[in-house]
Amino acid sequence: MKKVFLLILVSVSFLACEQVIDLEVKDGVSQLVVDAWLTDEQKEQSIKLTLSQPYFEEADPQPALGAQVIVYNEDSTAHVFTDIDNDGIYTYTPKNNEYLKQDERTALYIKYENEEYYSLSELKRVPKIDSIGYEVFSFPITPPNGGPKDGFLAQFYANDIVGDGDTYMIRSYKNDTLRFAPNDITLAYDAGFSAGSKSDGLLFILPIRQSINQTLFLDKDKLKVELFSIPVEAYYYLFQLKQESSNGGIFATPLSNIPTNIINLNGQSTKKAIGAFFVSKVSTFETVIDKSLAKPKQ
Amino acid sequence: MLNFTFEKFTNLKLVSFIFFFSLNSVLAQDKVTISGKISEAKNGEGMIGVNLYLKELQIGVSTNVYGFYSITAPKGIYTLFITYVGYKSIAKNVELIDNKTLNFELEEEGKLLDEVVIKGEREDDNIKNIEMSVNKVEMKTIKKMPALLGEVDVIRSIQFLPGVSSVGEGSSGFNVRGGAIDQNLVLLDEAPVYNSSHLFGFFSVFNPDVVKDVKLIKGGIPSSYGGRISSILDVRMKEGNSKKPEFSGGLGTIFSRFAYERPYLKEKGSFIVALRRSYIDILAKPFLNNDLKNSRFYFYDFTAKTNYKINDKNTVFLSGYFGRDVFGADFGFNWGNSTTSFRWNHVFNNKLFLNTTVFYSNYDYSLDSDLKDENNQDSFEWKSNILNYSIKPDFNYYINAKNTLSFGGQVIYYTFNPGQATAVSGGQSRSIGLDSKYAVESALYIGNEQKVSSNLTLNYGLRYSFYTYLGPGTVYTFDENTSPGDRKEVLSAEKATKGEGIKTYGNLEPRLALNIGVNASTSIKIGYNRLAQYIHLLSNTVASSPLDVWTPSSNNIKPQISDQIAFGLFKNFSDNMYESSVEVYFKTLKNQIDYIRNADLLLNPAVEGDLMFGIGRAYGAEFFIKKNKGKLNGWVSYTLARTERKVDGLNNNNWFVSRIDKIHNLSVVGIFDISKKWSFGSTMSFATGTPASFPTNKFVWQGIALPQNYTDERNTYRIPNSHRLDLSATRKNKHALFKKGESEWVFSIYNVYNRKNPFSVYVRQNPDDPSKTEAVKYSVFASIIPAVTYNFKF
Repeated sequence: MKKVFLLILVSVSFLACEQVIDLEVKDGVSQLVVDAWLTDEQKEQSIKLTLSQPYFEEADPQPALGAQVIVYNEDSTAHVFTDIDNDGIYTYTPKNNEYLKQDERTALYIKYENEEYYSLSELKRVPKIDSIGYEVFSFPITPPNGGPKDGFLAQFYANDIVGDGDTYMIRSYKNDTLRFAPNDITLAYDAGFSAGSKSDGLLFILPIRQSINQTLFLDKDKLKVELFSIPVEAYYYLFQLKQESSNGGIFATPLSNIPTNIINLNGQSTKKAIGAFFVSKVSTFETVIDKSLAKPKQ
Repeated sequence: MLNFTFEKFTNLKLVSFIFFFSLNSVLAQDKVTISGKISEAKNGEGMIGVNLYLKELQIGVSTNVYGFYSITAPKGIYTLFITYVGYKSIAKNVELIDNKTLNFELEEEGKLLDEVVIKGEREDDNIKNIEMSVNKVEMKTIKKMPALLGEVDVIRSIQFLPGVSSVGEGSSGFNVRGGAIDQNLVLLDEAPVYNSSHLFGFFSVFNPDVVKDVKLIKGGIPSSYGGRISSILDVRMKEGNSKKPEFSGGLGTIFSRFAYERPYLKEKGSFIVALRRSYIDILAKPFLNNDLKNSRFYFYDFTAKTNYKINDKNTVFLSGYFGRDVFGADFGFNWGNSTTSFRWNHVFNNKLFLNTTVFYSNYDYSLDSDLKDENNQDSFEWKSNILNYSIKPDFNYYINAKNTLSFGGQVIYYTFNPGQATAVSGGQSRSIGLDSKYAVESALYIGNEQKVSSNLTLNYGLRYSFYTYLGPGTVYTFDENTSPGDRKEVLSAEKATKGEGIKTYGNLEPRLALNIGVNASTSIKIGYNRLAQYIHLLSNTVASSPLDVWTPSSNNIKPQISDQIAFGLFKNFSDNMYESSVEVYFKTLKNQIDYIRNADLLLNPAVEGDLMFGIGRAYGAEFFIKKNKGKLNGWVSYTLARTERKVDGLNNNNWFVSRIDKIHNLSVVGIFDISKKWSFGSTMSFATGTPASFPTNKFVWQGIALPQNYTDERNTYRIPNSHRLDLSATRKNKHALFKKGESEWVFSIYNVYNRKNPFSVYVRQNPDDPSKTEAVKYSVFASIIPAVTYNFKF
């Protein structure tokens, strides 16, 4: 929806302007940040622990070192993540299919500076991506984001799984470069954008299917699409992440903290962690753009 | 004992009855009543607020909104004065022997001096009148104030008045004494207008060529008004010239305007039709290439009114407004209001006047993907609206020279359609329909304006409003044990049958106003009012957007209630050349709506689970001085104000300043009529920056820097202050087209010293590196905006 507004506002607000300014804000207390998004893929998995910092600090965040990080299956099988490089990135490589299981809950346990934290997430089902199609496309003017004026507009084809309340995240790679700025993250609730869209079981709606085009593609470009199943709390977390990332202008909403699902085992402790822990199944589809296969311009 | 108490009670009732309505036997002696209508000689328009005064008795009245008056006096011969600033006074000997009807026409003085009146009333009306917290601005004045892009705008102009502000330049609506925009009842010929803006808030929907009178009531609200808790903006349309046909219009930067008015059926009736349309799309068309050829980008409004005088006792009026904004390229988006009101003025006798209004008002929007391709495999269409019908009889009973009673009632039937959508994906279609919601709001009121003595006037009244949330519909109950700030889960969703009363509310709304005359040029006024509001605009953004949906009070949403008390000191100087006032007010607000984080307000059947409820308070002081006479006119207005909220689950449950809070607000308006040919206008404004929330910390998650406020407190910062100077110059020409009529050029410059006033300051990731952060100042109008407008009339 915001995009529609943006589009109109851009055309209207030839008089408007945005200026980067200096802003003095009070600093808060530094907190443990848990960046844990695991998939069931048989490749190295990592959990990054850092400390929050003053908002306008230029430096990279400090790693949180010396933590104990364990992921548990529902049957209490433990998978220990270790920080081999001493950089706050705790890793684990799944050895067999004993790792994450669909429709099961997974627990994360972290012990850091004598505080114990935990979090739960559930591995949801994901549909497979059937194909990627593309058509010849031209913008009326050269787009301001630096992409080509003429090229190919791609879309992926996949159907939401029947049953209300599946939530997904879609992201893409162009020539092996991942696009993951907040604007590039596409969220789906069933086949539509939100819970109210009642799109259960449909082909993902067109704006979602075409969300993989940050710029137009050229002949021989490599395109990879990833479709993640995410638990519904991750949908809302990412939804707010997107919102707080571009929350300016006339239709801004009040700034509010993105809720975390990392909980201190000691409810009385003043030390709280922030960030989030999610698990996902992933479908991928990869193709190389071939101009001879492109649908001609409509 | 009981009997005694009862007796005392009945006595008390009797005493108060006598006191209130002063039906003293003294008044029953030989008295006669004159009544009639005062209209403008030039075009036959009924005149509002004209003063009539019997010199020998020192009693007077003023005309109501239809130009009707009534005076009762003992038999005798008197001198009747009829005065209205800017018009030639009438002094006439009248012989009162029996009841009679006397109609008068007032002629404009037409002198330069008089064209610049700021309000057309008796010069010391502000002192004598019971009204407080009321601002009227004449269209003549509004038309001379510098306007954004040269487009004369009622809603922008009233923002220069004390106690009125907006959340930022270019935002929709206005805020009065700390109230939200949906707490203003905006009436166009008595029909409510649900969205008063074109183009997201840049321009208001009122065509200045058709507006006759604008009145903003901020406090001491009479019992005849109700339904919103902050203010009433009462806009009255012209009736149309009943003397001769007239064309008028103009070419501006944004709109071109055209109006035609004329009498019909031997001057028994008259009408006016007026059309405005933006034309940037027409000018741009030749420059757009193939892909943009189909883009739509325009807004228009059509306003029409007619009146017909059936006989001396009956006049009917029919007015309508239809406006729409249309945008589209690969999608379509359009929204608009339409209102129709039919009114019947009936004079029962020379003391009792009735106006009955029947109105229809609708606001709707629709949004769709490009539907040009009829065999589209993928499309989307979404519609929403609020619709209401109402009947509203209002009586004015001129009991005697000291008491004017008003009473009446209103019934409004609402239909809310929060959203109907159809989505097609891959050829498969799904309908998303939220149930329509229905409600009936009714009210009965009575009020009396009583001149107790030469220096004490009272206006007291009571309004009883009654509301029912009606079936059919789904009645949701939510888990009330949810921690505040989180989404409340639906516990049950039960179907209510058609016509079933799901939830009812009733509120007694007392109103009181008091004017104590200290001396001829000074008075003290006190006002109190309670107001109830049963419908609410769900909007979680800084400025309201056209997509925001109105929702009724229900089993989950209680009506909003405000209590306001205001004190004012009014004083005029130098033979009424200057008028001044100081008012202080204190207001409490109940059942104020706020939103959980991630609130999903559109197409969400359980939207009420995403709402939070709190209380509010607003207080302030307003200083106002206005120069009414001479070549230089205008006013200075300064408001010192505060508005706060307290909501469980927000800001650690503490009071916090509301998003619209502006501590200081200063406006200076000057209009300088230098010669018959030239006049100049200037406005200057200063306002404290609105509150803002900023993060204390950032954390990086998946390579993205995210804001975190460690204290979780809202609105603890302020964006920089705003100030601006606007100028205009009007050059009158002797003739319009073809050497007929008259015309003028209006030159205006908005934001003369090119200040980039902030609308908001916000934080974001650096566009090139999402792990880095920066702060951004956003300005809606960030440059000088010059404009030229040509107006004509013949």
